[in-house]
Amino acid sequence: MRLTPGPAGDVDLDTVNLFDLDLYTSGDPHRIWDVMRDKAPVHHQVLPDGREFWSVTRYEDVCRVLGDHREFTSERGTVPTHLGTDDEAAGVLMTSTDPPRHTEVRRPLGSKLTARAVRSWEDSIRATIVRFLEPALDGEPYDLAERALLLPAMVTGPLLGIPAKDWEELVQLTAMVTAPTDRHFLVGHEAATLAISHHELVNYVRDWARSRRATGGEDDSLLHHLMSVRPGGEPLTDEEIALDGYSILLGANVTTPHTVSGTVQALIERPEQFEKAQADHSLIPNLVEEGLRWTSAACNFMRYAVDDVELDGGVIPARGAVVAWIGSANRDAAQFADPHTFDITRPNAKRQVAFGYGPHFCIGAPLARMTLRIFFEELLQRFGSLELAGDPEHLRSYFIAGMTHLPIVAQERRTP
Amino acid sequence: MERQVTASSAQASLVDEVAQLWAEFFTGREVGPEDDFFALGGNSMTGIKIIDRVAEDYGVQLSVRDFYLAQTPSRVAELIEQGRSAT
Repeated sequence: MRLTPGPAGDVDLDTVNLFDLDLYTSGDPHRIWDVMRDKAPVHHQVLPDGREFWSVTRYEDVCRVLGDHREFTSERGTVPTHLGTDDEAAGVLMTSTDPPRHTEVRRPLGSKLTARAVRSWEDSIRATIVRFLEPALDGEPYDLAERALLLPAMVTGPLLGIPAKDWEELVQLTAMVTAPTDRHFLVGHEAATLAISHHELVNYVRDWARSRRATGGEDDSLLHHLMSVRPGGEPLTDEEIALDGYSILLGANVTTPHTVSGTVQALIERPEQFEKAQADHSLIPNLVEEGLRWTSAACNFMRYAVDDVELDGGVIPARGAVVAWIGSANRDAAQFADPHTFDITRPNAKRQVAFGYGPHFCIGAPLARMTLRIFFEELLQRFGSLELAGDPEHLRSYFIAGMTHLPIVAQERRTP
Repeated sequence: MERQVTASSAQASLVDEVAQLWAEFFTGREVGPEDDFFALGGNSMTGIKIIDRVAEDYGVQLSVRDFYLAQTPSRVAELIEQGRSAT
């Protein structure tokens, strides 16, 4: 998705289609969200097939919708592909479960992913990132977005317990889930692509768990942890293990690459900020926050209203589907001055909501933050300059904001 | 519901069996030999169950990709026959 908006134009809120995939591959969604935040903070859309949903685009409302599980439930589905048919995995898949059950399941998993817990992986992650950046050092064109698709798998593979031979396939499958009609991921048609990828991912975790049980193998990996936790005193069912493993694989793989490529693109476009960060590595953590705000790879999540609920821009009826546009919240001028300005020294960048808000706040956030910090430490240290070497190609998805291609050329840094 | 004449190369009895097997997972619906899996409301949760049952009942492990691209009971029956003759 285009991250630096173009000039403001005419937007007809009555006819705009927020699920139009072309809007995300070649249009300017941020300009539409600007108008929605201003004129229609609660926006109702009916799709051509009759399904309807309400959109919230302001920071405050996005936080309320994502954060308040009593008013807005996750149990009927939280991703736009669930719109129209309630999620069959409700109550079983962690992201489609409300508290208190959600809290019970999440707590033992979350404890493995706290900032303190992931600190021990710093050295191995750094080694992985150095390997990842190595090919760019020769000064030849390097497609950062394409290569970055594999980066989270390289980092999280060992942590999750996934052997290297499976990474490429898993990355392909998770990408199919989030962008089923993108030319890189489409198999047959959209419904088939979604079904194949969900199915193969769930199968993968299921088979993994089965073989672990058979061999009695034990290790410190997150997937193994899924087998041993006892939320509410009971182990997770096989179905829960498979679905939660699938969900963690998805979350790990599909977002970070786009924060990497989108933030690098922003730095290339603003060389004075690139140099500033190079000269002072203490700016990197805030660069990461501003990059998360800027790229908002997880573009939206959905909830369903439980009862009629009144927001500042209107009433959402009971059982209505509500799409919370995180990408828009992160550009809300009520929260972020000059929101469409990328600024690594932005004082409140940490208020960004790219990881969501409330009980379902991204469980991988500390690991993602650490990975991104290390990535930019190594990038800024090794490369003297970066330039674009071609046009980006945008991911065909309204769910994940990202790029499939971003050719760059890097010059190795000469001075220490 | 009228049974359509199927252009499937699989045995008609197998096609019927497959259609009836599907119907167990699409509760309350009759399933015909040319009915589309997705139009019936099928997704990966249903697909996982059907593929498991086919493995149990026919000893054939259908490829995930082939199953979802086949889409109808008559084409899935063809896949089963191919799988059987391959062993």
